[in-house]
Amino acid sequence: MATDFTVVDNAGEPWTLSDHLDAAAVITFHRGDF
Amino acid sequence: MAQRQDEFLSRGGRVFGLSADTAPMNTAIVEKLSLPFPVLSDPDRSEAITPLGFADEKDPRQISRPGTVIIDTNGEVAFSTTGRDYADRPNEDTLLEALEGLGLPATTQTPPELGESQPGEKAMAYEGLPHYFRGAKFAVMALRGRHRDLSEEFTDDTKRYLQMVERYLEALPAVEERRT
Repeated sequence: MATDFTVVDNAGEPWTLSDHLDAAAVITFHRGDF
Repeated sequence: MAQRQDEFLSRGGRVFGLSADTAPMNTAIVEKLSLPFPVLSDPDRSEAITPLGFADEKDPRQISRPGTVIIDTNGEVAFSTTGRDYADRPNEDTLLEALEGLGLPATTQTPPELGESQPGEKAMAYEGLPHYFRGAKFAVMALRGRHRDLSEEFTDDTKRYLQMVERYLEALPAVEERRT
């Protein structure tokens, strides 16, 4: 099943995965507060 | 991954960071490391972190486990790897190999927009990073030497960690260059 989600980019703008799939998305997860 | 962004792009993949931190905290990270890609924010972990299996259920801070997922152009998860803890992060070579297997044409990526910047309370200043990595490296080297007969798994684990820290240390001059 295709994955899709909407989060917020670091500029505070909505970011939807399916809008960016003209290429592969390599998403690296961080624990944060780094 | 920032240092090797061109290798990801030439294999048809754009890199994105993602954490449960706020957008201003993520902008502070983009600025600190002069990252050439955006860092995304999933504060309640409901959109990407939990559905993709990266929620750290053991940590009370409601954070993400480290790891990487590659989503292909059909929206399918083509590759996923999850670290056991903060000291266990994927090797870029493994990710590039998985990406290459998708056979995609080269792509491009525009630099991230910056918004309000507010580092987290525990965020380390850039100037502290080289000392932090070197300290971690020598501590693990000492423990490795002290317990070298413990098990093959321990030796392999420390070897991978030292290789990871070496990659980070080797990346610092490029970070320095991007920051100037």
